[in-house]
Amino acid sequence: MLKVINPGIEVIVEDWPGRLGYLGKGMAPSAAMDNVALGLANLLVGNPKGEAGIEIAGGYFEAEFGADTVISITGTDMQPTINGQPIPIWESLKVSKGDKIKFNHFGTFGFRTYMAVAGGIDVPVYLGSKSTCIFGSYGGYQGRKLQAGDIVDFGHPTLELDSLRGRKLKQDVIPQYAREWVLRAVPGPNTCSDYVTEEGMDYLFNTAFKISHSSNRSAYRLQELKEGFFAREDGGVGGSHPSNIVDHAYAMRGSLNICGNTPVLLIGDGPTLGGYMCVLSVINADLWKVGQGTPSRDFIRFAVCSQDEAVEARRAQRALFDEKSLA
Amino acid sequence: MEKAVNAHMPGLVARVVVNEGAKVTQGQEVAVINCMKNELSVLSPYDGTVKKIMVAEWDEVEVDMPMIILECE
Repeated sequence: MLKVINPGIEVIVEDWPGRLGYLGKGMAPSAAMDNVALGLANLLVGNPKGEAGIEIAGGYFEAEFGADTVISITGTDMQPTINGQPIPIWESLKVSKGDKIKFNHFGTFGFRTYMAVAGGIDVPVYLGSKSTCIFGSYGGYQGRKLQAGDIVDFGHPTLELDSLRGRKLKQDVIPQYAREWVLRAVPGPNTCSDYVTEEGMDYLFNTAFKISHSSNRSAYRLQELKEGFFAREDGGVGGSHPSNIVDHAYAMRGSLNICGNTPVLLIGDGPTLGGYMCVLSVINADLWKVGQGTPSRDFIRFAVCSQDEAVEARRAQRALFDEKSLA
Repeated sequence: MEKAVNAHMPGLVARVVVNEGAKVTQGQEVAVINCMKNELSVLSPYDGTVKKIMVAEWDEVEVDMPMIILECE
């Protein structure tokens, strides 16, 4: 088990792909904001790729291990230490009962770190997932962020701990991080010529949008659109602003909602429907990049992608979480 | 000796809760940052006296950016 000393900014239990099948009930899928970092962390400690891990946003998490186990740290480099000594990331290592792990803030690139533990995180499976939905206060560890004094239990590893320590990834498997994240996206459903001008779509796919400080697990808010984006003068029966339409279901996760003049990328804990137009959908294989986008610092750029390319990219990503990716 | 209280997260300054000349103690809230739709307290890592406030409400700050300069013994 793990005893929380300092809960940091936002530290939660998340798995992948999360709580699927409940959008019709208004329930978000939640799940890891960066499924690649979580999946590779799980691979390193011998877990199934979607097993729950600890998601650390921002940093400053500190905890004490209550048992010997094997862990792995992936994602942004928060300069983790065990008992004050730096430890490597993107590989597995053995820790002992009484060891204290400490994270600094997010690194030069990326925003979220993942810690996987051999055997996974032992929290109840709620509606098919161990993921926390913060705004709904369900799932994960008591439906909330971790707090000082919390005791987080581990599952039982299927392999001997000694066989799991020291596992590393091939260098080309470790994702490349950036300050400007290029997200491949399929245009639609609300695009030109009915909703957006041609110039507006060109602008959308040729602009680096700064990520707002008010981005969180529900949505990543981006800088405001320029004038000339909308093809309509108002939203007709949907509302007074041209971004308004009659309420419809949102393509979750990854839909780019236009809320007034603000593009809002809907993600893990996002809404399932509403009355704003959606101009593109980020492909599933690139959603992990959103999780590493740092609010108030990084930029997002969209690149046009076909559905066939999206399917192929997803297939290629799934292949990453295989023993062949180990060095 | 001068020491800085730095932003621990990027975001907007919601408010500074001390004035120049005020005495602060280690762990005391000196400012608040808006980030991820949360209000995050900035705590002083030191005992000292506020010498200079480097930020104003609604300023955008980056992580590790100095927000307040303290005079410490």
